[in-house]
Amino acid sequence: MNCVEWEERIALHAGGDLSPAEAQAVERHVAECAGCQMLLSGLRQSLALVREVHGEPIEAAHFAAVRARVLAELERAPARRWRFAWGFAMAAAAAVLLIGMWPRPERKTVSHALVPVPAVSRGGADPQVRRGPPGPPVRASRTARAQRKAGPGRPPRTMASAPPEPAEPMVVKLLTNDPDVVIYWITSTKGE
Amino acid sequence: MAQTMDGPDARTRAGDLTGFEAVMRQHERLVLVTALRLLGNIEDAKDVSQEVFLRLYRNLGKVEAEKNYPAWLYRVTVNLCHDVGRKRRPSVAVEDVPELVSGAADPQQTLTGAERQRVLQMSLRALSEKERAALVLRDLEGLSTEEVARALGSSEATVRSQISKARVKMRDFVERYFRRRV
Repeated sequence: MNCVEWEERIALHAGGDLSPAEAQAVERHVAECAGCQMLLSGLRQSLALVREVHGEPIEAAHFAAVRARVLAELERAPARRWRFAWGFAMAAAAAVLLIGMWPRPERKTVSHALVPVPAVSRGGADPQVRRGPPGPPVRASRTARAQRKAGPGRPPRTMASAPPEPAEPMVVKLLTNDPDVVIYWITSTKGE
Repeated sequence: MAQTMDGPDARTRAGDLTGFEAVMRQHERLVLVTALRLLGNIEDAKDVSQEVFLRLYRNLGKVEAEKNYPAWLYRVTVNLCHDVGRKRRPSVAVEDVPELVSGAADPQQTLTGAERQRVLQMSLRALSEKERAALVLRDLEGLSTEEVARALGSSEATVRSQISKARVKMRDFVERYFRRRV
């Protein structure tokens, strides 16, 4: 007979976890099997031992310590909540004040005003100068073209989308080795 | 449930700490001893007990609605012990448990109180976390299989399997401990 099949049922029987019919079947098997008798006996003995030890009293000081810690924590809790509420209120007030006093940045206005450029010619310029930033020199070139189209007597043109700029734009004049080539870099006063 | 206890009265629900202390006294053994068996260490068990009662205080209304304080307390205690246990030692294999030097023949007669406690704690350490919880609640705390299943969030069939394995391992441990191998 393969007693491994009986092991689970015998272990359950040792703790009274089988139905009466199942328990009877286990008892019948155990009566015929010495090995399973030993197993059942050992299970009952170890269960009795651990139950008895488990039932032994625990020092009252341990319970008292837990109670004291819990009550101390609960007594501290309301005060801590009020402290938290005050702290939160103060922080909120400070935040409102800070936002109110924060210096507001002025609206940036981008100047795209074009200024006349006397003359721009190509070729012969110092390579270092020609390899400069692509944006502004192109604009200068466009400006020069526009100026050539408009003729010398006309006033400088401004881009339609640009708002009026109160400050004077900064004009950077780049000289090249070729005296006929001069590059103008026009920026706003804020360096844009 | 083995113990049926009334919930806290209205004073406790209102936050009266004296009333809550009475509730703690009613249930402290359940919580501390269960935690001690699951963790094997009185200081950890006290920490868990403290947390269980703080949670009970915060959930008094909900627990009272369940009308079963022990079930709630067992469930929370087991869960907190699992959290603590996972951060600590793994279970010990039965084969790795040292034998008792004295080779006492009858464990019930010859062991001192400290040795008996040691045998219990070491035998529990030989079990897996789930087997230990099932055995502690069923065999030591005396809950029914159905109550154990509810506390552990498992099926009754699973709990029966865990309990039977745990009992066999515990018997193996005790017999090895006393050099009484079959």
